[in-house]
Amino acid sequence: MVERELTFDLPVAEDKVKEFAVAVGADSLAVHHDSQAARELGLPNLIAPPTFTVTQIFPVPRERRAKELGAELDYGRVLHGEQEFIYTRMPVAGETLKGRMRIAKDVTKEGKRGGQMRFVTYQTVFTDDAGAEVLTANYTLLETSRDPGS
Amino acid sequence: MSQDRIDEGRVFPTRLSMDGATPGTDFEEKVFGPIGRDDIVRYAQASGDDNPIHQDEEYARAQGAPTIFAMGMLPAGYLATAVSDWVGGPQHLRRYKVRFTTRVWPGDEIVCRARIESVDGNVAHLVLEASRRGKGPEGLGLEEEEVALEGEADVELVQD
Repeated sequence: MVERELTFDLPVAEDKVKEFAVAVGADSLAVHHDSQAARELGLPNLIAPPTFTVTQIFPVPRERRAKELGAELDYGRVLHGEQEFIYTRMPVAGETLKGRMRIAKDVTKEGKRGGQMRFVTYQTVFTDDAGAEVLTANYTLLETSRDPGS
Repeated sequence: MSQDRIDEGRVFPTRLSMDGATPGTDFEEKVFGPIGRDDIVRYAQASGDDNPIHQDEEYARAQGAPTIFAMGMLPAGYLATAVSDWVGGPQHLRRYKVRFTTRVWPGDEIVCRARIESVDGNVAHLVLEASRRGKGPEGLGLEEEEVALEGEADVELVQD
């Protein structure tokens, strides 16, 4: 089977980095707000908070994921189960990351209280201008049984 | 653990060192919130998550929820901020993982805790937890405090 993949761009705009940092309670952390301080710490510019790349989930709509990657899900029964990030480095304000998304896992397990649970993991590898890996994000959705417990 | 540097209101947390990273050590808990509806709206705008179940009271009730609730990535974002503070900045994180165990409601505080579980070379493995603390919506009969997120993080340590 040919592995299906979709690609998209994620701009790491400076104002979005600051806005996101404030939204996750990191409004005083220097590396998100003060580029001179970031440079003094050896960073090229402001860096994004660790969970910043979740913003990519929304520019890639569900419909596009379903159409280009498969894994039809009934979103009335879907929960965000897990989220994982593996970092080479944090995204830097001013760069545009390239995301390559694929389905890394699609498994169904028996639930503890009967019924089945399906786990679907969308894995996105983000690379920079030079093609070097920046981080990998694993977004795991959990689809609960249509008739739990029956 | 040593005092963080604060300069003109900006915080420069102290980096976790090989010497300071003893397995079994707990970090000082950090509390965010209580989460207001404005915090949820701010996160929705910052992240692009405009699912109405987090903002539209009527829609949330139509989906069977007693009221709106926070997107899981909001407390997950707070917990990541806590980790960044504990270890000397997000730039030292090599991995961050969370599992969502229960919903977080408006009015909840998020209590972040972590422990150094092990150290392997210059990488410390942290076990994380974020609890929701609050009454929760009327009629749900929630515990005053329960774990909403379980997580782990790998952090690069500085040589002493």
